[in-house]
Amino acid sequence: MEVSELKEKWTGWTFDEVSFEIEAEDLSEFALSCGETVPRYTDAQDPDFQAAPSYTARFHGRRALPKDFPVDMATSFDGGKTVEWKAAIRPGDTVVARSHIHDIFEKTGRSGGMMFIVHRMEFSNQRDELVAIVDWKMIQKLA
Amino acid sequence: MSETKQALTYADVGFGDELPELCPDVSMAMIKRFGATTGMTYWRFTDHERARASGLPGAIVPGIMSQGFLSAMIHNWAPNGRIVKIDTIFRAPVLVDSEPVCRGVVTDMNDETRIVELDLTVCNEEGETRVLGTAVVELQA
Repeated sequence: MEVSELKEKWTGWTFDEVSFEIEAEDLSEFALSCGETVPRYTDAQDPDFQAAPSYTARFHGRRALPKDFPVDMATSFDGGKTVEWKAAIRPGDTVVARSHIHDIFEKTGRSGGMMFIVHRMEFSNQRDELVAIVDWKMIQKLA
Repeated sequence: MSETKQALTYADVGFGDELPELCPDVSMAMIKRFGATTGMTYWRFTDHERARASGLPGAIVPGIMSQGFLSAMIHNWAPNGRIVKIDTIFRAPVLVDSEPVCRGVVTDMNDETRIVELDLTVCNEEGETRVLGTAVVELQA
């Protein structure tokens, strides 16, 4: 299947939804193990205590790609992650992550063609406020 | 409560400024601490021997943890700054029990929004870039 056909058929619709309960110790442990020293990320007693920016990137849905997605991603590699911060995530929040394929595109480099699949997770809190967007680029070499 | 760090304002920053380097703790103990809270306890992160047997040069630092180091470096530089966006590319593995260095430089500034853009790297002891990225950070007036 052509990349353009894949994009048309598989992007833009939610294929997974999962929720997470946010706990203070989890937030501070994540921040401390990443070397954060700013109290609003490390100290649960700080009045502005919240998740460090990369915190949502640790979460995975129940599946990385939609059921029956026609590309075998077993040989793909991780092209990186982008986190966009929208609002503070705090202890006691219930965060819902919804996954969709945001984009599929092709690039040609020195080693040949590569297909990029951008998996996007959008995180909303219990007030339905968007708190973070995480893009994960999966790269597959094209034959 | 921990000691509050000195605030950095937009006026303190100049194009081309380099952020203070961060030498993150990537000891096996710290990787396991990160794994305990994130669930990232896979052998490729926590077992040098098994990682080597699989063809890796050793156990590797989770990519998200490297992104976290870069955020920590930004916050050390601008404790009251807000990271609006951080983008990282995991070009090559960062090894557990190595001595990586995180660096950043200011590459763009917007006087109206007080937003700065940064180029970011995590390099190994040989100076090879293992992780690279960019960040968009809003600073205080």
